[in-house]
This record gives sequence, structure tokens and C-alpha cells, in this order.
Amino acid sequence: MSSHDGQKALCLDHVTVRYGKATAAEAVSFSVPRGSVYALLGRNGAGKSSLIRCLLGQRKPQEGEVTIFGEDPWSNRARLMARLGVVPEEPDAPPDMTARQIAAFCSRLYPSWDGNGVETRLRRFAVPGDVPFGRLSKGQKGQLALALALGGLPELLVLDDPTLGLDVVARKALFEELVEELAERGTTVLLTSHDLGGVEAMADRVGILKEGRLLVDEPLDDLKARFRRVSFGQSDATVHGSETMKALDPLALKQAAWGTEAVVSGFSEEAFARFAAAPGVSDAEASPLSLEEIFIALCGEEGGRP
Amino acid sequence: MKRRLTVDPADAVPIWRQIEEGLRRLVASGALARGAPVPSVRELAKDLRINPATVAKAYQRLTEAGVLAVRRGEGTFVAAEAPALTSGERRRTLREGAERYASLALTLGAAKQEALGAVTTAWEDLGEKGGRS
Repeated sequence: MSSHDGQKALCLDHVTVRYGKATAAEAVSFSVPRGSVYALLGRNGAGKSSLIRCLLGQRKPQEGEVTIFGEDPWSNRARLMARLGVVPEEPDAPPDMTARQIAAFCSRLYPSWDGNGVETRLRRFAVPGDVPFGRLSKGQKGQLALALALGGLPELLVLDDPTLGLDVVARKALFEELVEELAERGTTVLLTSHDLGGVEAMADRVGILKEGRLLVDEPLDDLKARFRRVSFGQSDATVHGSETMKALDPLALKQAAWGTEAVVSGFSEEAFARFAAAPGVSDAEASPLSLEEIFIALCGEEGGRP
Repeated sequence: MKRRLTVDPADAVPIWRQIEEGLRRLVASGALARGAPVPSVRELAKDLRINPATVAKAYQRLTEAGVLAVRRGEGTFVAAEAPALTSGERRRTLREGAERYASLALTLGAAKQEALGAVTTAWEDLGEKGGRS
């Protein structure tokens, strides 16, 4: 173990998860420093859920090591889970129990419990305390799960696609709640989400999984700084495959009616200036990509390497 | 001239830098008066729905640069006076900002005259409102 483990809320070291012959995650390594917000992104089936199950001690990886606060969640599950708040992808509870009964039950599982906070959040979310869980909407179930996850005053909050099925108003409330929690307690957050706009505003580090492998693991600011869409006109067809083009090293090329568009993953001002001035290239422009556009460039159908 | 602080998380410019530059602009234009209170980190983070650590980073940089001042127990305010910089610091800060702007102009394919013209226009816009020319 390195001396840095004390600052890490969680750590995955070459984690491989297999189901029979199918590999769900292969040699995945990343860590989440305390106090940071890490977004783990990937398409459905990319391996996010398998890794989350390992983190929550629900599954033992075939290879590699998982630690939460320096301990193995598989063998110390109960103790570690008391320090975590989890909003699962599909929150589940006995259908006949009301939100208030579920909260009372949960309060006994955690060493410290913020009952007032749970009540306040349920009121703010307008989740009724006396309606059986089975009759709550999908959004209300998610909001109840978040209120309960925060009720245990967690050191680490795991949000597995928390905005799934939420309408815009509920999504706004969720992100405000998250901002409040971060400002108040500096909680470490591991988040998976398909709401990349929300992730973009909240995460300070992102991991992108594709077919079980981690393509990207870096600060969001760095990731966005190195991606650009370069569009240009060309006066002759020799630009493609030329040294000029190679220097730009595009991830993907697309012919549009107005010229050529290239997505570049290692953008530098110098290389771009050389490219723009090269013979055969005209009107070269570089524009930034949103996280969503970067994600599509990496994980879309014709996506390429990082 | 924008009188509000807005950020675009989808932009390639890091959010903390957008806040830093946005607040500098509001102070320069006089929209935020000297000595006026600015929202707390939490209020602004909630308002913009962004990570409070990002707002804190921008505020810290602005405080270090003398644009904002923290009064213990009272909150954060626009500094009462323009930041006192040594001429060397001022030259360096101007150069850094100029390099960022020049790169932007170059990647957009703007000509030098066009880019300099935009600076002049922006200068006049802000200077008028900030009482300087």
C-alpha cells in the first residue's frame, strides 16, 4: 500500500470482474481522493454496475484489489457500509412500508443519524411520509433513497445514476441537494450518470469505461482542455493521410458539406497553428467539445481510442 | 454588457476560470461596486448548480489577486481599492491574459487587426461604465 492511501476514499487496483466467460471489467484502476467528486461514465453494459457491486462489497472481483478507506469491502462490508451513503440505480424497499417507517428502520443501522435532515429533505422533495413505498413514483423513490443516504452522515456517497427517471424539476432539486451536502460536509462522491450536463457541472474527475476497460481517468478540466473539434476546408484531397494531418493526430474524421471535421484528443495550440498554416488547408477553426461530445467521440459507434 | 454572472459548464474554459473572469468583468464594469458583498460560496454554487469547490477555487484566486477581500464572520466583498500590484506582477498578469486571448483569436482564425479591434471595443465598453477610459 502506498502512503497516499490515507487521502483516498476508495481505490481500485487492476480490478477484473468476470461472469462465466464474459468479462465485465478488465484491469480497471482508479482512485477517488477524499473530498472530490468522481464521475464514472460509460454506456449501458460498459461495466459500471459490476465495479459498483465490488465497491459495495456485494461481489468479489476475480482479480485485483478494491479498498474503501484502506479496507477491503468484501471482508469488512458491514463496518464500511455504515460510513457510506448509497443511492442505487433501482431503489428498493418493502412495498408496504412508508417513507417514515423506512427512515425509522434505517436510523437504527447507522451509528449517527440525522433524523431532522431526513425529514427536511423529504419535505423539500415533497415526498409524502405516509404513503407506502410501492405507491411512490420512480422519482420519489430516488429522492427518498437520497434523503436516507444523506441521513447516515456518510463519508462517501455513491450515486448510481441518480437522475434516471427524474424530471427537470426533480433533477434540479437533486443537484441542489448535492451542492448543499458538498458545501456543508465536503463529502466524497462517486457518481455514475447519463446526465452528462449535470456531471460536467459537478465532477472534478472523470473515468470513462468502454467495454470493461477504463479509457479515461483524469481531471475534467484536463480532459476538456485536450479535446477540440477542428474544422477546415481543403483545396486538394492530399491533406488526408498527409504528414500535416498526422501531426494533428485526429481521433475521427468526418466529411461535412462545408468541409472536414476532425476530433482531436491531444490538442495543442502549436500543432494547430502549424496545421492551419499548412498548404492545402484553409479556414481551420478549433472549437471546444462538451463532455457529452467527448463521450460520444470516445464511446459512440465509430468511437476511437482515448 | 452582462450584469449577471453566468457559466457554461460545457465550455472548454474551466468553470473556476469562467467565474474568476466573470467576476473580474463585473468589477471592472462597475456592475459590482467596490466594497459590495458577493454571494457566499454556497449561495453561488447553488445558484449556478456547480461544485462548491469550484466556486471556492475562483474566490481564493480572486482573494489572492486582491480583487476580493474576506472579512471574518461577515463574508466576502469586492476589495475597496483596486488591487495593489507591483509593475512586474501587473505586467505578468496582463501577459497571461493576453496570451489566452491571442490563442483564442488564433484558433478562431481571426486577423490581428480584428482581434485588436475587439480589445479596443471591450475596453471602451468597460471603461465607460467603470468610470475610466
